[in-house]
Amino acid sequence: MLNANIINTLSGLLLLTSLLVIETRKPRQSAILYSFQSLILVMIFIALAMLMGAPQLYLWAGSAFLTKAILVPLILYRALSKVDETTTSMATVSTPVMIILAALAVVISFTVVSQIELKSAAEFIPALAISVAHFFFGQLCIVTQRNIFKQILGFCLMENGSHLTLALLAYRAPELVEIGIATDAVFAVIILVLLAGQIYRRLHTLDAAELNVLKG
Amino acid sequence: MESSTLVWLLVIPLIAAAAALLARFVGRFARMALEVIHLLSVTAVLVLVLVVAWQVLEWSEVAAWHSWLRVDAMGALFVIIVGLLSFLAGIYSIGYTRHELETGGLDLTRLTTYYALFHFFFFTMLLAVTSNNIIIMWVAIEATTLSSAFLVGMYGTRPALEAAWKYVVICTVGVAFGLYGTILVYSDAVNVVKEIGNASLWSEIVKDAALLDPTLLKLAFVFVLIGFGTKAGVFPMYSWLPDTYSEAPSPVSAMLSGVLVNCTLFVVIRFSIIVNLALGAAFTQILFLVFGVLSLGTAVFFMLVQKDINRLLAYSSPENIGLILVALGLGGPLGVLAGLLQLLNHSLVKSMMFFLSGNIMMKYRSRSMDVVKGLMQAAPVTSVFMLGGVFALVGVPPFNIFFSKFMIVSAGIATGHLWLMIACLLLLMLAFVALFRMLSSVVLGDKPDSIPKGETGVTTLVPIVILMVLVLWLGISMPAPLSTLLNGAAAVVSSGLPAAQASSAIGFGR
Repeated sequence: MLNANIINTLSGLLLLTSLLVIETRKPRQSAILYSFQSLILVMIFIALAMLMGAPQLYLWAGSAFLTKAILVPLILYRALSKVDETTTSMATVSTPVMIILAALAVVISFTVVSQIELKSAAEFIPALAISVAHFFFGQLCIVTQRNIFKQILGFCLMENGSHLTLALLAYRAPELVEIGIATDAVFAVIILVLLAGQIYRRLHTLDAAELNVLKG
Repeated sequence: MESSTLVWLLVIPLIAAAAALLARFVGRFARMALEVIHLLSVTAVLVLVLVVAWQVLEWSEVAAWHSWLRVDAMGALFVIIVGLLSFLAGIYSIGYTRHELETGGLDLTRLTTYYALFHFFFFTMLLAVTSNNIIIMWVAIEATTLSSAFLVGMYGTRPALEAAWKYVVICTVGVAFGLYGTILVYSDAVNVVKEIGNASLWSEIVKDAALLDPTLLKLAFVFVLIGFGTKAGVFPMYSWLPDTYSEAPSPVSAMLSGVLVNCTLFVVIRFSIIVNLALGAAFTQILFLVFGVLSLGTAVFFMLVQKDINRLLAYSSPENIGLILVALGLGGPLGVLAGLLQLLNHSLVKSMMFFLSGNIMMKYRSRSMDVVKGLMQAAPVTSVFMLGGVFALVGVPPFNIFFSKFMIVSAGIATGHLWLMIACLLLLMLAFVALFRMLSSVVLGDKPDSIPKGETGVTTLVPIVILMVLVLWLGISMPAPLSTLLNGAAAVVSSGLPAAQASSAIGFGR
């Protein structure tokens, strides 16, 4: 039967794919994994729509499918096939450290979320905590990864986290609001990819540590 | 009162952005077409901004689109700042970009991009300060980052691209925190407001703010302050600021430092009003004081070691934003009024300073204090305004910032924060030293022989002259309509009352 457990389980799966996106060596594979993760997000939206009787979430699912499962991964994949991925080393932290940090993010998120009382989302507390943790995972990715395209993927993960929070807490907001947030997210990726392309052409590297001219 | 003025205010820059993109197809008249579109748009918006301000004075608030757009006295103050300073940056842009075209800094393609993005950026800032929907406020602030990213990286050089990258990454991450704060407030408001469809409207949330969950609000406000604070140059996340302000074209730096910063502060203040109504003012005040003092106290030390004029000016922003937060943290009618006045004054002076540094940049092709010498010989008019600008920025009478700083200190003493005020004044002394060191290094001495004598042109001087007149005017006397707006804005912020009641409480509006 469809119940809150499905949402919570799917959200857990979201975290797992997130770690894979961060830890996969080749950014192009990360882009594909990200697309897979977005599909899970779409499934969560559909499940939420059925469970909460919120038809507007079907619309969210549709737009998330188009933008996050197809458009954004495609943009990233195409941009990545034009660059030499070996021009940068991987992360600044090792995989075990990353996993510890990720675990810490989960613990913090659960602690914070369990503090708050929200009538509208009582049965989805685990999913809510996971969405917040997911948001932190994205930030971890941005902070620890040296490949600028991995940093863009970090932004995408962060955005998926906040998108889930939004679906859990603000699904009744007017549609225009959701459209606005989604548009921002897509354009953020486009702009970051364009900038990354310019940086690559100018500096011949994808290494964020090379962006070090400005100091003080 | 419903008014279509607000809609036009947003539509015009959007049309201008689209028209600018099309202008490249008119061949050899492209530059002229771009400039005409650009001037028409900034002028029309300035006129509309003044109309909106006048309407607010008449009716105490204007709204449009089912109250998704709404401007009260506080909004009007910010709308004026956005409209006026973008107009002046618009005028300045013409001279600046012509110079860059001649010297090869820009080409026609980049110029088209520049003007199109300028107007889109303008639109997003106007949307941020006219929006009554808290989630759209967030959308607008995020869009300001995205639309200004390529303005920052316009030159496409290594440092410019680096600055643009850091700017977008740090600000989008920061502002994402702001989204969490916004969602938390919204999701709580859904349970409280009478009509669920209105739960994202600021003016509806404040009506029932007392019913909101206190724990949730505290958490939300911390998110909001850190999130939007990142973009406003609040401690600890202002490291992107000197990189961005120094590498962007000067008119863009002027808009980022004089206009955009205020748009994000606007959102923080809007949220603080909701929190104050639910919890009392103590919670936000202590946060404002702590972050204000930290911003001020750390930025001045960075100012002391700068060798780059723009980076020095950039670090002076967290210094001033810190001071504004301190004023808001002091609270009370005087503290809030002083904070808002400091915000207005800082915007005027800081934009002027970036225009001046743009003139220096055009003459010397450098911002380094080791290279820029003898400005008095090279460009006497610019150097006199530079002198006046630094005097204004550090708060020497009769310039406007003296007046607002004086008010802040008075508010501090009146609320029993004598030692805090002494500490702030000592820190401000350091900023004073840093700015005067720059001034003496740049203005005095012999100019390098390679630098020809002469000013940089009319369009790059007129905005500076206008700002200097305003800076002096506001230092000597306060025009009555502006005073009414400022008092109205302070009433909205400090009494926590919805605008109409707050206005009548101080005998303003209908």
